Amino acid sequence: MSAMLLNKEKWPEFVEKLAGKNILAPQADGDAMRFAAVAEGDVPALDYNNTRVPPKGALFPQTETMLKFQAGGEQVEEPQLDRETVVLGLRPCDARAMTIVEKLFKWDIDDPYYVRRRDLSTLVGLVCNEPGMNCFCPSVGGGPASTEGLDLLMTDLGEKYLFEAVTDKGEALLSETRDLMEEADGNVAKEKEKLVSEAEQKIKRTVDTEGVAEGLPGLWDDPLWQKVSASCLGCGTCTYLCPTCHCFDIQDETEGFDARRLRTWDSCMFDEYSLHTSGHNPRPTRKERTRNRISHKYSYYVDKFDVIACVGCGRCTNLCPVNIDIIETIRQVKEAL
Amino acid sequence: MKMDLEQLRKTAAEVAAREDVKYLIGWKQGTYGYRVAPGFIADAAGAAELIFSPLCTANLATYLTLVEQLPVPRGQEPDDRKVAVMVKGCDSRAVTQLLVEKGVEREEVIVIGCPCPGVVDPVLLAEKYPETEEPVEMKWDGEDFLLIRGDEETKIGRDELLAEKCRLCRYPNPVVSDIMLGEEVQTWELAEDRGVQELEGKGVDERSEYWAEQFDKCVRCYSCRNVCPLCYCQDCILDRLNPTWVNRSVNFSENTAFNIARAFHLAGRCIECGECERVCPANIPLGKLNRKLAREIRDKYDFEPGVDPEAEPFQASFKPDDPEDFIL
Repeated sequence: MSAMLLNKEKWPEFVEKLAGKNILAPQADGDAMRFAAVAEGDVPALDYNNTRVPPKGALFPQTETMLKFQAGGEQVEEPQLDRETVVLGLRPCDARAMTIVEKLFKWDIDDPYYVRRRDLSTLVGLVCNEPGMNCFCPSVGGGPASTEGLDLLMTDLGEKYLFEAVTDKGEALLSETRDLMEEADGNVAKEKEKLVSEAEQKIKRTVDTEGVAEGLPGLWDDPLWQKVSASCLGCGTCTYLCPTCHCFDIQDETEGFDARRLRTWDSCMFDEYSLHTSGHNPRPTRKERTRNRISHKYSYYVDKFDVIACVGCGRCTNLCPVNIDIIETIRQVKEAL
Repeated sequence: MKMDLEQLRKTAAEVAAREDVKYLIGWKQGTYGYRVAPGFIADAAGAAELIFSPLCTANLATYLTLVEQLPVPRGQEPDDRKVAVMVKGCDSRAVTQLLVEKGVEREEVIVIGCPCPGVVDPVLLAEKYPETEEPVEMKWDGEDFLLIRGDEETKIGRDELLAEKCRLCRYPNPVVSDIMLGEEVQTWELAEDRGVQELEGKGVDERSEYWAEQFDKCVRCYSCRNVCPLCYCQDCILDRLNPTWVNRSVNFSENTAFNIARAFHLAGRCIECGECERVCPANIPLGKLNRKLAREIRDKYDFEPGVDPEAEPFQASFKPDDPEDFIL
């Protein structure tokens, strides 16, 4: 696989070369950042920590139209997904999250929407030089320069970006833009290694997951859940901002005679999520919902797919309105084991 | 700031230990950096972790109506002990408005008032003084804020960090309380509401474009609704499926329906605690929207919610001499 260097002055030209494709990149929005489509002629800047809303929507949009039909009609129309997408500058944790989510979407039968979008996408990651306050990716199997889930990895070396192909798809994108770049020599690898090890040093918070996956089911009736969920507002911030949360709802919606079937993100923290048609709710309070959220990530998913469904991006902790901190929650789980 | 922590904790311990009290809700040090977390204190010992500082932005009054009420199992009596809640001036207006609306009954709550010289804007704070993983303490120091990290104390000018809601605050002292902690604080000179003025200065098209851009970012996590002490309908239109008032699809149209519906339902009820804007992960300036409506109601109807527990609820009152006859 190739390793190439791009002078930052040529970054606009690099982006220009991708014209025609749907480019998603982090964009400033007040004091937050979010992934959004890059308008033609715009050049996204990549000097950012991480976006509040993860880029999971690139493969798993918050609202996905599955089919369209006319009320009372007999024809259904399936939207065609055929536009190539390049996600620029996503963080390694978010790419790794996509590999975790993919295990579900490729489990018994392939989910056509997710798989199609992944096939059409090239994921260009960016090494984290400055991890955030609540980053703990190394504790859950990741790292600031992890290539899992990526097609191409970029490293910000100051004056230049280092591009390293991870997959054939990444290699192909590199060959499209190769004339803007120069070959990376041996010193570059050392330079990158130094940056990555510095980044690793900057990660202060850790989670000890030993025994958690096996132990969680045994804590079903533990008073810990009441304690953890006492202040929970029951909003969807932790789940909607989580790169590995993948639950969805399917709804038919009409506008006049125009109808469509769509799927939208859903959140296990909502009352509606587990509400039965009968009116019974097996998870009647935030206590049961919190227990489910944590157990699903740290135990059920491990049991089923052999990986923790948390990549340590810290978003749920950063943005929880009431400081429910997943690192602290897992610490309390460990204590209760 | 004339309230000391010892007094606060002693009072809280006494209240939490009372037999007729289920628990006391106060603020405690969070898990890292500047974070403060709501604390549910069930006994005297728990009161030792309570704090009151410029970092206590959260409006705890929301928990009065957030409790899930499960059916009481046969043979058991419902737990109708009181809940005690610590409130700043703005938070106390939420309690008052809940009393007006009969969302809570007076005898169900014990209100512990904390006169408040103003809290910090957590985003501004973290921007200027980077957050650390170690918990940090903050105090009021005369007119200023004092940031304490280990042995290092940094004095920060009030204007530098004061939250926007506090710049506009006219009720720093709780308007309702059973127990008042510390001494009353002096009200301060109000800042102009630049956010709302700026919006009012825009033309209709420009304003519509502005909000289109804002609502487009909404991820419909409903944190604004859930954190709001006055968004407490047991049967919220957003959750209704039959009929579905607001579709589950996330797009500009549905997001607008949601945000505008919420704003209208809060007109004459919003007490401007700013929690919706603080918690919005999409950075939507919801405060501006709600303050604009609050201003309309204040200017046009001479009504302000959450200041008088005996007041008639604005949206549910009718005057026989109303100049509009359509209502009859």
